[in-house]
Amino acid sequence: MAKQWEEMSPEEKQEELFNRWLSPKDPEGKDLKFQSPQAEKAYKDRITRIKDAIQMKKTPDRVPVFILPSFFPFYYGGITPREAMYDYDKLTAACKKFLLDFEPDGHLGTDMPGPGKFFDILDYKLYSWPGHGVPPEQSYQANEGEYMKANEYDALIQDPSNFFSNTYFPRVFGKLESFNMLPALTGILEMYGVAYNFIPFGVPPVQAAYKALMEAGNEVMKWVGAVMAWNMETTALGFANIIGGYTKAPFDVIGDTLRGTRGIMLDMYRQPDKLLEAMEKLTPLMIKMGVGAAQMNGKPLIFMPLHKGADGFLSDAQFKKFYWPTFKKVMLGLIDEGIVPFPAAEGHWTTRLETVQDLPKGKTLWMIDQSDMAKTKKTLGKVACLAGNMPTDLLTVGTAEQIKDYAKKLIDTCAPGGGYIMANGAFFDKVKAENVKAMVDYAKQHGAYK
Amino acid sequence: MEKKWEELTPAEKQEELFNRWLSPKDPQGKDLKFQSPQAEKAYKERVTRLKDAIQLKKLPDRVPVFPMLSFFPAFYGGINTQEAMYDYEKLAEATRKYVLDLEPDFQFGIGLATPGRVYDILDYKLYAWPGHGVSPNSTYQCIEKEYMAADEYDAFIRDPSYFFTNIYFPRIFGKLEAFKMLPNLTTTQEIVFVGPNIIPYGLPPVQEAYKALFEAGAEALKWAGAVGAFGNEMASLGFPAGGGGFTKVPYDTLGDTLRGTRGIMADIYRQPDKVLEAIEVLTPIMIDMGVGAAKMAGNPLVMIPLHKGADGFLSDAQFKKFYWPNFKALLMGLINEGCVPLPFVEGSYNTRLEIIKDIPKGSTFWTFDATDMAKAKKALGDVACIGGNVPTDLLSVGTPQQVKDYVKNLIDTCAPGGGYVVSNGVAADDVKPENVKAMIDFTKEYGVYK
Repeated sequence: MAKQWEEMSPEEKQEELFNRWLSPKDPEGKDLKFQSPQAEKAYKDRITRIKDAIQMKKTPDRVPVFILPSFFPFYYGGITPREAMYDYDKLTAACKKFLLDFEPDGHLGTDMPGPGKFFDILDYKLYSWPGHGVPPEQSYQANEGEYMKANEYDALIQDPSNFFSNTYFPRVFGKLESFNMLPALTGILEMYGVAYNFIPFGVPPVQAAYKALMEAGNEVMKWVGAVMAWNMETTALGFANIIGGYTKAPFDVIGDTLRGTRGIMLDMYRQPDKLLEAMEKLTPLMIKMGVGAAQMNGKPLIFMPLHKGADGFLSDAQFKKFYWPTFKKVMLGLIDEGIVPFPAAEGHWTTRLETVQDLPKGKTLWMIDQSDMAKTKKTLGKVACLAGNMPTDLLTVGTAEQIKDYAKKLIDTCAPGGGYIMANGAFFDKVKAENVKAMVDYAKQHGAYK
Repeated sequence: MEKKWEELTPAEKQEELFNRWLSPKDPQGKDLKFQSPQAEKAYKERVTRLKDAIQLKKLPDRVPVFPMLSFFPAFYGGINTQEAMYDYEKLAEATRKYVLDLEPDFQFGIGLATPGRVYDILDYKLYAWPGHGVSPNSTYQCIEKEYMAADEYDAFIRDPSYFFTNIYFPRIFGKLEAFKMLPNLTTTQEIVFVGPNIIPYGLPPVQEAYKALFEAGAEALKWAGAVGAFGNEMASLGFPAGGGGFTKVPYDTLGDTLRGTRGIMADIYRQPDKVLEAIEVLTPIMIDMGVGAAKMAGNPLVMIPLHKGADGFLSDAQFKKFYWPNFKALLMGLINEGCVPLPFVEGSYNTRLEIIKDIPKGSTFWTFDATDMAKAKKALGDVACIGGNVPTDLLSVGTPQQVKDYVKNLIDTCAPGGGYVVSNGVAADDVKPENVKAMIDFTKEYGVYK
C-alpha cells in the first residue's frame, strides 16, 4: 500500500511531487493526453533533466535551459502589454508562439501579466499597469507606499487575516474601501455576538464592495480558464511550466507591499523587535502559501522573488539578523513538505553567499541575477542548483556571438558536476529575439554531459 | 486644549467614558432629548450611583439595583421566548412594560433575546432556539461540540480570522459551508499573486454563501435598529443601559464554543503549551472586542461571563496557570482603556477570591452567583465593587418576604463602606414578577446610605 503523505520523509515527498509533475492530469483528473509520443518524451525528458540538475545526485543528460521573461513573449508575439492583460486570446496565442519558436526546457507560464479588467473592477492602487498609469506599451509598476503604517505591527501580528481584510484591502483596492467597516469575525463566539457582528454585512457599502469582489472573481475565472487551457495545451505539446506557486521571504513581504522600502529601513532602527516579531508571525503563513500552491498544482517548484536582501540594501549584520533567519525557516518549512524553493536572487548577492549556503543539499534552485558566478558555484553551488546570470543588457544590446561566448563561460564555470541551468538573470521585456534564441541553442548544442 | 485619548491616564479615560455615559447621544450624535427634566435627573442619578459604587471614592446615595434578566421581561409582558426572538416590536412592548412598572436602576434593552431570523437564514448549528430545537416557551441552549479539533491549535494560532472564516464558520453555519473554499487573504501581495488568490469569489457556492450573509446582515441591521431605538427610548425615560460591551476570558473563548468543555479539559493535560499559546493569541483580540464595543456604545461597562474557571472546574494550580493570567491581562487591557470590566461570575468562586483580588482599586464590578458574599466582601471589598447573589431559585419559588430577607442580609453584609450593588446571581427568565419587584423596591427603601 502506498504511504500516506504524513508518513513520508521530506525526500519521499519531494520525489512524490516530481512524480506528479511528470504525470500531468487533465481537468477531469485523468492522465493528460499528449499530442504525440514525441511530445510526451520531450516533456518527461525536460522534467527529468531539471530534476537531476536540482537533486545533484547525478548529472543530467545536458544542462537544462530556462527562459524566464517578463513581457518578452508578448513583444515578440507583436502584442502590447496592455493587450496581454486584457485580451486573453491574444495573451495565450503570443505565449504559445513564443514556446514553439524558442523551445526552452522550462518556462513561466502565461499568467504573469494578470487580468487587467480584474484590476479595473477593484480599482487596484498598488500598481500602475499598461493603459492605467503607464503607457499601453510598458510593463506594470508597483506604487510603493506605506500601505501598513509604522504603528500597525501589533494589529498585523495579532490577527494577520483581519489586518489584510479590514485595514490593508481598503487601502490597496479602492472598491473595497468599505471593508474598513467589517467586524472582527473572531467576535462570533456565543449567540449574542452573531447578529451584532454580522450587521456590517447588511450595510449597502459593504455589500457593494463584496459585489465588486465577486465581479472581480468572475472575471478572474474567465482569465484562469484561458490560462489553464493554455497550460494543458502546451503541456500536451511537451513544454514544462516550472511554476508550482509562489511565496516570499518574510522581510520582503513586509518591505515590498506593506511598509515599503523606506518604512522597513526605518523600522530596523526604530522598532527592530516588532519587525522581528511580525516576520516570525508571517513565517508559517508563507510556508503554508507555498505548500498549498504546490499541492494544488502538483508541482514541486515554489518561486520566491527576493528583493531587499540583496547586496547594498542591508549590512551583513542586518542581513543575518533580519533577512536570513525567517527566509531560511520558510525554505526549510517548504523542503519538509517536499517542495523545491526557487528563490530569485535579484541584483547582486555576492556578499550573502557564505550565509545562504547553509542549506540541505539538492533541495533548492536559485535564480542568480548579477552575482559573481564563480564565487556562487564555489559556495551556494555546492549545495544548490543554480540558474541564470545571462545579463539583460547583453540580451538587449549584445550580439548572438557575444551571447554564445557568455553562455560558454557560464557552462565552463557552473556546469561541472551538474547543478546548473542556463537562464537569464533577471526578468526581461524587450530584448533581441536572436539573442534569446542563441542562449537556448547554445545550451542545447554545448551543454551535454559526456 | 483638551488632551487626546492616547494621552489620558486609565483613570482619566474611565472618567471620560462615564461622562459619555452620563451624556447620551441620539443616532445623529446630538445630545439625547430626555422626555422630562425628571427623567434626565433620574438617568444621571442612576449612572452616578453606579459610578460611585464602582469607583470606591465616596458612598453612593444608595445601593444601586441592577437586575440581570434575560427572558424575564418577555414573560412579564405575556409573550413567549419565540415571539421575543422573532418579533422585535412585541419584545420592546413587553420590556417597556417591565421597566416602567418595576423601575430598576438599569435595564438591558431588547438585545439579549437576539434575532432568531438571522439564525434561520444562516442555518446556525451552535445553538437550539425556541421553535428550532427547543420549545417556543423555553430559552435557547448551546450545543457543545468540538467545533475546533484537537489538532487545529496551530491553524488557529497562525491566523485567527482565517481560522474563524474558513474553518470554524463552515461548521457552525450551514449556509456558510462554502467559506471553506475562501483564500488566504494574506497571499494577496504582489500583482502576480492577486488575481489567482481572488478566484474563490467567482465560485457560485461562495457567492451563494455571501448572499445568505447579506440577507442575515440585513436582518441583523433591522434588529439593531429596533434595539438601538429601544435603548434610546429607555434612556430618554431615565433608564440607563446596564452594559456597553461584551467580551470573554481567553480560556472560556477556547473552552466554550471552540474546543468545548471536554476538549479543553483533555488539552490542559495533553497539550498544555498549545492551550497557553492560543490563549496568548486570543488575549489582545478579546481586549479589542470589549474596548471597541464600549467606546462605540459610550458606556464603560464590559460584561464578561465567566464559565470554566469556577470552583470545581479547575484545580487551584490549573486556575493559576491556565485561567487567571490571561483573565487578568484582559482586565488590565480593558482598564487601561478606561473600561469597567463586569465579570459575571457564574457558579461559585470561593476558592478564587484571594487570587482575583490582585487588581487596581475602583476599576471593576463583579456580580457573583453562588459565591459566599461575606467572603467576597472581605477579599475584594477594598478593591472592587461587588454585587449579585440573589438566587434564581428564590426568585422562582420563594415569597417576596423571603426575597426581602435575603436582600436585607446582603445589604447588611456587603453594603457598608460602599462598593455594593444589589443584583440577582444569574440571568433570570421565568421567575415571579412580585419577587423581582420585591428585590428592586426593597433595595430602594433599605439601601439608602445615611
